[in-house]
Amino acid sequence: MIAQAAALIIFVGMFVLIILDKFERQWITLVSGLLMLIVVFGICLHSPQAIVDTLNLKAFFVKSFWYGGEESASAGINWSTIVFIAGMMIMVEGLGHSGFFRWLCLSLAKAVHYHLVPLLICFMCMSGFLSMFIDSITVVLFLATVTIELSRMLKYNPVPMILAEIFCANLGGAATMSGDPPNIIIGTSLGYTFMDFISNTGAVVGISFVFALVYFWLCFRKELRENEAARVGEVSCPEPSTAIESKPAFLCGILVFALAVVLLITHAQTGLTVSCIGVIVAVLTVMAMTATSGIQVIPRIFRGVDYKTLLFFIGLFVSVGGLEQTGVLEVIAHFISVISGGNPYVMTAIILILSAGCSALIDNIPFAATMIPVIQSLSATTGMALPTLAWTLSLGTDIGGNATPIGASANVVGTSVSAKNGHPISWGKYCKYCVPATVIVIMISLGCIYVRYL
Amino acid sequence: MNENQIIVSVGREHGSGGHFIAQELADNLGIKLYDKEIIEGVVEKGFSREFVEAMDEKPINYFLSRRIGEFSNSPEEIVAEQVFDYIREIAKKGESFVIVGRCAESVLRLYPHVLSVFVTGDKKDKLERIKTIYHLDSMAAQDRIRRVDSKRKQYHNHYADYKWGDSRGYDLLINSSRLGIDGTAKCLAGYVHAYMEVKGIKNPSR
Repeated sequence: MIAQAAALIIFVGMFVLIILDKFERQWITLVSGLLMLIVVFGICLHSPQAIVDTLNLKAFFVKSFWYGGEESASAGINWSTIVFIAGMMIMVEGLGHSGFFRWLCLSLAKAVHYHLVPLLICFMCMSGFLSMFIDSITVVLFLATVTIELSRMLKYNPVPMILAEIFCANLGGAATMSGDPPNIIIGTSLGYTFMDFISNTGAVVGISFVFALVYFWLCFRKELRENEAARVGEVSCPEPSTAIESKPAFLCGILVFALAVVLLITHAQTGLTVSCIGVIVAVLTVMAMTATSGIQVIPRIFRGVDYKTLLFFIGLFVSVGGLEQTGVLEVIAHFISVISGGNPYVMTAIILILSAGCSALIDNIPFAATMIPVIQSLSATTGMALPTLAWTLSLGTDIGGNATPIGASANVVGTSVSAKNGHPISWGKYCKYCVPATVIVIMISLGCIYVRYL
Repeated sequence: MNENQIIVSVGREHGSGGHFIAQELADNLGIKLYDKEIIEGVVEKGFSREFVEAMDEKPINYFLSRRIGEFSNSPEEIVAEQVFDYIREIAKKGESFVIVGRCAESVLRLYPHVLSVFVTGDKKDKLERIKTIYHLDSMAAQDRIRRVDSKRKQYHNHYADYKWGDSRGYDLLINSSRLGIDGTAKCLAGYVHAYMEVKGIKNPSR
């Protein structure tokens, strides 16, 4: 009981500090994780074994961590997630260095002859597609930057386009295991493959994406057409080829990216785990960039890796491990089971709406990490299929984050880039367009889950 | 860096007359004053005046914003960053100036001749000044002083090296109620002239 109370206090304290944003979030989770190890496992439980289990360092020495096996389902640090994300970060840095993202944006703009409504549709599709494989922060960062650059030359208001890009990035990320951190955590914790996600959450996202395209087209077509009609004089935009900093690096970057996509899609067949794929793409990126741009570029690529996020994950996993080992999450699962009366329809609705609502207001990564043991426990006690709960949780956390400017990391980056360039996006403006879209997509998701799984 | 560049940063309590003192000090020294002029500078970068005025010297709302690495979507923080960039830009030109608020003493800490002053005042005098300037009754004026000072304090404490109004963070703290606006400005001008003499600066750069 004392251990449970201590774990809960530390965890709630961590969450409050993350929301208050007074300190960098990686320090908050790391200190919280340390407190969990010392106070809960050490002092309250007197269990060195729980500390060892939570640190989970033995995972690196197990064959199934790298090849052939089920993903780690043990409590504690999910090293698969961390190794995979680190590897993808290195790959994305390499791609960015080569000028790939800017080239892609400028090529698309040129392909639609700089007409704004087709450009909106193109950028939405590109945002959704790239976010299936690359983290949505990177996608939105590059897209928003190019959108603003183009808006200066083509004389249009970039805010509608940035809002649509953010929404589609989060939506695209929900489609695959590699698209959004909550999905990576869910996939690696519960042993699901890339194809499992594509055929489940991906199918729901596919339907939702069509609605999102129509929705944003309806919302913004008039304003963009007016902007275009008001344009005077010749349009002068940079040639896409000017974005390429080094052609060999550019080609190698694309090849490594294509290989990463193939490895992810086929990882159930090849037996390569996501940790292994993360290491492969990182090593190939480093080799390719060394060969094409010289060794001097490597420190720049490693400096671009977001170590703070990786540390944030490590601390978070330890903190969630504390809640899990002390049985607090079973209590939450039991509570959900009781208020739903064991009814699968109610239970799915609760998980979807709860995860969407919470993700709209707080970071969806700690929420997803916390909820995984909860749905495992729910499945074990109520007999409800775990995959159904997992897809529900994934859709709720990924899509719910769309509703507010602080719901997901991509939203923060997109609105920040916009504001820094003189186009602030207020809460009112953001929510006016994104809350209805989020509600529509959540309703579509709920309908799909009911029809397909229950 | 220009060795003759003198920068005087003036922190102030609301109603203490800090702005007017800074204006008189700048006139006395024959150098520029930056207060609302800073807003103009940020507006020239492409921001709307309405937005900059609404967010200038305002504390971050932690519940409505988040930061991911170098990206914050807090409008207050974005304006603060733009303001600090603008302050660095004007300082880089080498001209001497007096600047009001905006954590200038911390933003320009690397410049050799930055003098930081904090102007306070007796409650009664601050209240009278605010009542007159904003045509408010006592209750409303008191409320305004409390709100504005609270925001300035939170803003300053978030970005600056020292706490707002903490004597350790300033070269001089002065109560404007003792000498009045003119007297305080003259006193501060005397302090700046004395400093210039000690440092061998004949005229501040313009």
